[in-house]
Amino acid sequence: MLLYTWNHNRKEVLWLLTIHNLVKRRGNREILSGISFIARPGRVTGFLGPNGAGKSSTLRILLGLDRATSGSALIHGKAFAELPNPLTTVGAALDGSGAHPMRTGRAHLRWLARAAGLPRSRVEEVLEIAGLTNAAGRRVGSYSLGMGRRLAMAAALLGDPEILILDEPVNGLDPEGIRWIRTLLRERAASGNTVLLSSHLMGELAETVDDVVVIHHGKVVADGTLAEVTGNHSTLESAFFALTSERGGDVS
Amino acid sequence: MRVSSGRKFTKILGAELDKLVTLPLIGFILIGSFLLNLVLAAAFTSAGQQDSAGTQSMLELGLASLRYTQAGYIILGILAACSEYSGGQIRTTLTVIPWRGLQLSAKHLALAIITVPAAFMIAASGVLYSLFRMSNTAAGIDIGTMIKTLAGAAGYLTLTALLSAAIGSLLGRTTPAVVLLLGYYFVVSPLAGELLPGYLPDTAGYSMYMHPSAGEINARTPIEGTGILMLWTLLFITAALVLYRKRDA
Repeated sequence: MLLYTWNHNRKEVLWLLTIHNLVKRRGNREILSGISFIARPGRVTGFLGPNGAGKSSTLRILLGLDRATSGSALIHGKAFAELPNPLTTVGAALDGSGAHPMRTGRAHLRWLARAAGLPRSRVEEVLEIAGLTNAAGRRVGSYSLGMGRRLAMAAALLGDPEILILDEPVNGLDPEGIRWIRTLLRERAASGNTVLLSSHLMGELAETVDDVVVIHHGKVVADGTLAEVTGNHSTLESAFFALTSERGGDVS
Repeated sequence: MRVSSGRKFTKILGAELDKLVTLPLIGFILIGSFLLNLVLAAAFTSAGQQDSAGTQSMLELGLASLRYTQAGYIILGILAACSEYSGGQIRTTLTVIPWRGLQLSAKHLALAIITVPAAFMIAASGVLYSLFRMSNTAAGIDIGTMIKTLAGAAGYLTLTALLSAAIGSLLGRTTPAVVLLLGYYFVVSPLAGELLPGYLPDTAGYSMYMHPSAGEINARTPIEGTGILMLWTLLFITAALVLYRKRDA
């Protein structure tokens, strides 16, 4: 209880994501050229950019999957591998289901729960939240793209984490699924959690996010609240095209 | 702090064991290898019975089939390591268990926990079969020798599976690892024969359970064979750990 109160009071500091001057080179190619931004608790931060802009690379470095050439990506001041129990701190969903196709959805979530010391009952809870209870006994390879994404979300929610980091979460989801994600993310942020999601779908993002970071060719081209980034443009989408075509020329 | 590290490792080991037992292919390979080994042991025993000279001991007849069924343990090791790279599971694994050295070590330990009893059973089944079939024609077997030989065979299969897992982890992809290892164990090594030095993993490892025939040049004791194969396995596991900690997932 004491720990909870302490965490609660310090949440503003604790669940901050700080990306500072991040550079990533692969061979001669510079994928990220000094990315800096902050994702704050209680807000949904949209990380926006065309395909190949460096969104996934940034998230992968933040999650400790890839190494930065220089700069830092920290979760309340710590590198990902320094978190005592990552699953209960950060829920992550990257591309696809993140599960072996031959395993059942339930078995996938169970080994995750085991790794984090969570009870099996929590697996059933997240299966219910993700609407996968009926498909839980089936192999992941037989899932549709949308079901795979729901499984990835179920895994991200397993530890009821303070932070969600999601790469293109609405990709492959049907309209109902998109609505589910939207509501879920708004609820998470409303209860004080930090949500960072990447997307190249402007329309979907505008209705979900509070803050927007736009990157193009590995550089941040806009960073602010939704209203600030949209500015004088009629929609976030037109602001996005204006920002990315002015600076880089071609938008893929 | 030490206690918490221990508990952390136990959780990771539990997760790695869960991964292995819930992957249907692992079970199929273990059962398939067991059945194939029995069929081959039957064939070798029949051939041994017809060979009236009876130069091979019953143990060696019962274990001869392992030269072939070790393929199952090679594939088992590769699958244990390379299944991480299927469906993007590696990214899930590392966002839950970002301590790469601990995670890969736990994976190898989990594989050993599953392989040791399975390998012992497969070796024992072959020997018991030949013992049963030849009980009328051969003299009794010393139980101590039998246990030592079976332990050697189970150890050989386990170390081979671990070595294969390390190579699977180094390559990160199933097909190249299978081609490389099966190519070595079943084509290069048998064809090259005595041209290859006796300290390679398979040639040294065989001496863990097969007694050298008289006059063989590269003859080693079971202890020497165990030591050499262990060194190879540790060498590849260390290389896999170093690369795994460094590379982007």
